[in-house]
Amino acid sequence: MAQVILAASECDVVNEVICAPANVNELFEFPTIFTIGGFEVTRTIILMFLAAFVAVGILYFGLRKQQLVPTKFGAAVEGMVGFVRDGIARDVIGPEGTKYLPYLMAMFFFLLVGNLFEVTPLINFPITSRMAIPAFLALVTYVIFMFVGFARNNFRYLLDTIWPKAVPIGLRWLVGLIELFSIFILRPITLAVRLFANMVAGHLMLTLLLTSGVIFVAAIPEIGVKGTIGVFWFGLGLFMFLLEILIGVLQAYIFTLLTAIYIESSIHFEH
Amino acid sequence: MQFLNALMVLATEEGGESGGGLSLVLPHPEELIAGILAFLIVFFFVWRKALPTINKTLEARQQAISGQLSEAEESKREAESLLTDYRAQLAEAKSEGNRIIEEARTAGEQLKADVVARAEEEAAQILDKAREEAGNEKTRALAEARREVGQISVGLAEKIVGESLDDKMQQDLIDRYLADLERL
Amino acid sequence: MEGNIEALVGPLSLVGYGLGAIGPGIGIGIVAGNAITAMARQPEMQGTIRTTMFLGIALTEALALIGFVLFFIASAG
Repeated sequence: MAQVILAASECDVVNEVICAPANVNELFEFPTIFTIGGFEVTRTIILMFLAAFVAVGILYFGLRKQQLVPTKFGAAVEGMVGFVRDGIARDVIGPEGTKYLPYLMAMFFFLLVGNLFEVTPLINFPITSRMAIPAFLALVTYVIFMFVGFARNNFRYLLDTIWPKAVPIGLRWLVGLIELFSIFILRPITLAVRLFANMVAGHLMLTLLLTSGVIFVAAIPEIGVKGTIGVFWFGLGLFMFLLEILIGVLQAYIFTLLTAIYIESSIHFEH
Repeated sequence: MQFLNALMVLATEEGGESGGGLSLVLPHPEELIAGILAFLIVFFFVWRKALPTINKTLEARQQAISGQLSEAEESKREAESLLTDYRAQLAEAKSEGNRIIEEARTAGEQLKADVVARAEEEAAQILDKAREEAGNEKTRALAEARREVGQISVGLAEKIVGESLDDKMQQDLIDRYLADLERL
Repeated sequence: MEGNIEALVGPLSLVGYGLGAIGPGIGIGIVAGNAITAMARQPEMQGTIRTTMFLGIALTEALALIGFVLFFIASAG
């Protein structure tokens, strides 16, 4: 929020219709708070660990007691756990999915908390809008499905991708090229960028609209009627706020689901 | 990923922190390390603690539910057997009642028949006695009348004849007379 | 600003991203629409169709996502 307020003081309400920082990074990069042995700790890094502890806390308190009849909170957590286990791991990968369940489950909860940090009051920053987390998780997913693909199918995994026998021979090289590009290069990049881009766009929209709204409404005594545009910005910001809740949950789900789909496509590799 | 790594190297060489949008797209080393550590915390917790717990809980719940189900099944069976018992008892009671009513009816009819039979018998007896008495009376009256007619006739004849006949002759005369009389 | 080609880089990359988003927009619409038709026709296949739909969307979306990244890289100039 410090960054946002900084941007606000620089905002030229007389000449602009919306407050935007000179550099996008102002909204995403925070100054170093303190340094541990050359390791610069920023607000983002603290929030990452906070997200981890929140995710652990939700799971711990939700599943703590082995109650036969769970509380409301416990039932909600159990519902989510059951959703990842049955809806993603078992439905997509099959009975083998149990093996990958810890990874999928940890991923889902970590991303869910990280995404919803955007709409959490006083935090208002999605840690998944920093490339580090999506890139790391996508890389792990990439390593897993590559490893599974080669372990299950030997080099047929690569060869059959380039030279798919199910396709008419004239088109084989083209389909093979597209498949190769899509599986080995595009999959991990798009997986990471999808989450990252959604959260960046959401955070940009939210901060710009809400702060612009507040600043313009506050400036009504100075600039008169033009300040009422702030009401519109703020209303739009509130709508985006609700939309971001949906997007945060959906993106966590899609990231986990695509990971499961990619792993499944390596297990049951057919061409 | 290699593409990204190359870009990252490029960005750090150029001093990506101060650059425009590129430093937004590439992961910062500090954040990468922090992100990995944070994710590993969640991962190990889920792997070592959360999943075994939830599996155990679900198993226990499943067992409890199946136990409750079998209990319910048992009580249902019990209730059913109880119901069958009640039904049997009810049917027995009903047939018992029917039997009693039937018995009573039979007894009543028997009684009626007995009474009627006895009454008929009595009536017949009375009739017989009356008939017998009437017969006796008639015989006696006849004998009486015969004797009296004889005596009157003899007396009349004595008076007419004027002489007394001896007893033997008198009796013969009477018999002859009576025979004539009867022939008449 | 006048005659300065550098100043156009930012706005041009915005236009480029806008153009790049058209194709994936249409493509995702087609994928999702056909998935809904398929689900309505065979509700018992819902799980499989949804999985395939997300896979298709993921493939189609790739171009838009690359465009998004390229926008930042280009505007960094």
